[in-house]
Amino acid sequence: MNVDVALFASLASFQPDGMPGRHARVIEFPDGSSVGGVIAELGLPDEPRVVFVNGRHADDDVALSSGDRLAIFPPVGGG
Amino acid sequence: MTESEERARLHSATVAIIGCGGLGSNVAAMLVRSGVGTLRLIDFDRVEESNLNRQLYFRDDIGRLKTEALGDTLRRIAPEVTLIEVVTRVTSSNLVGLVTGADVVVEAVDGPADKAMIANAVCCALPDMPLVTASGMAGSGSANEIVSERIADNVYLVGDLSSDVRAGLPLYSSRVMVAAAHEAHVVIRVLLGHQEP
Repeated sequence: MNVDVALFASLASFQPDGMPGRHARVIEFPDGSSVGGVIAELGLPDEPRVVFVNGRHADDDVALSSGDRLAIFPPVGGG
Repeated sequence: MTESEERARLHSATVAIIGCGGLGSNVAAMLVRSGVGTLRLIDFDRVEESNLNRQLYFRDDIGRLKTEALGDTLRRIAPEVTLIEVVTRVTSSNLVGLVTGADVVVEAVDGPADKAMIANAVCCALPDMPLVTASGMAGSGSANEIVSERIADNVYLVGDLSSDVRAGLPLYSSRVMVAAAHEAHVVIRVLLGHQEP
């Protein structure tokens, strides 16, 4: 299945195409992959993050469907 | 919307601000100056000398609760403002109760784990609640790198997304204020019904 993946900030370097920038890419994952499965497959570090699927918050156990938009944002410190 | 309708809309609004530090204290002042009627100020901390480089406190506030000191300053700007001062450390279990009923929630804490916890808890329990969050304002990079954008249905993100205070970058008042101004302005735009792309 194809998922539209947007990785923000430092996570952009984990896009499989290795290109900089946080614009969404379409990436193919095994059918039935969960958010957590996709995070593991992309090799994202175990750091605080916020995950949205189709514009809504999603936990790691949410199952993805083809055409879903996945966005992952890692906050950095300061305020 | 006419100007008087906009004023009425802001006057009737309630904004919950989580964290009254560099972001939150300045966001609060800008919202009060813009006519927002009610603020919930949420913070557990007391004013320290090291806060004075960027937070809206004064030397004679040192040692006071931030909510109390900020409340006094905001009432000097607008005596009619309604302030609900909540002295507590926000956790994933108390957060929803603290912000329910607000029209917009502003995340204004400093730690990445707390920022993520707040975004996750608000978005999960209150998916229709507009949340304004900030990430990346440390260092001396260009102020023009700090932007505001909508990253999910009801989530607005402010900052350059990458300048991390944990990387040893200092927090300059000027750049923190840029981020605070973005947060405050997004709140105003959301309250007035504007939709970011």
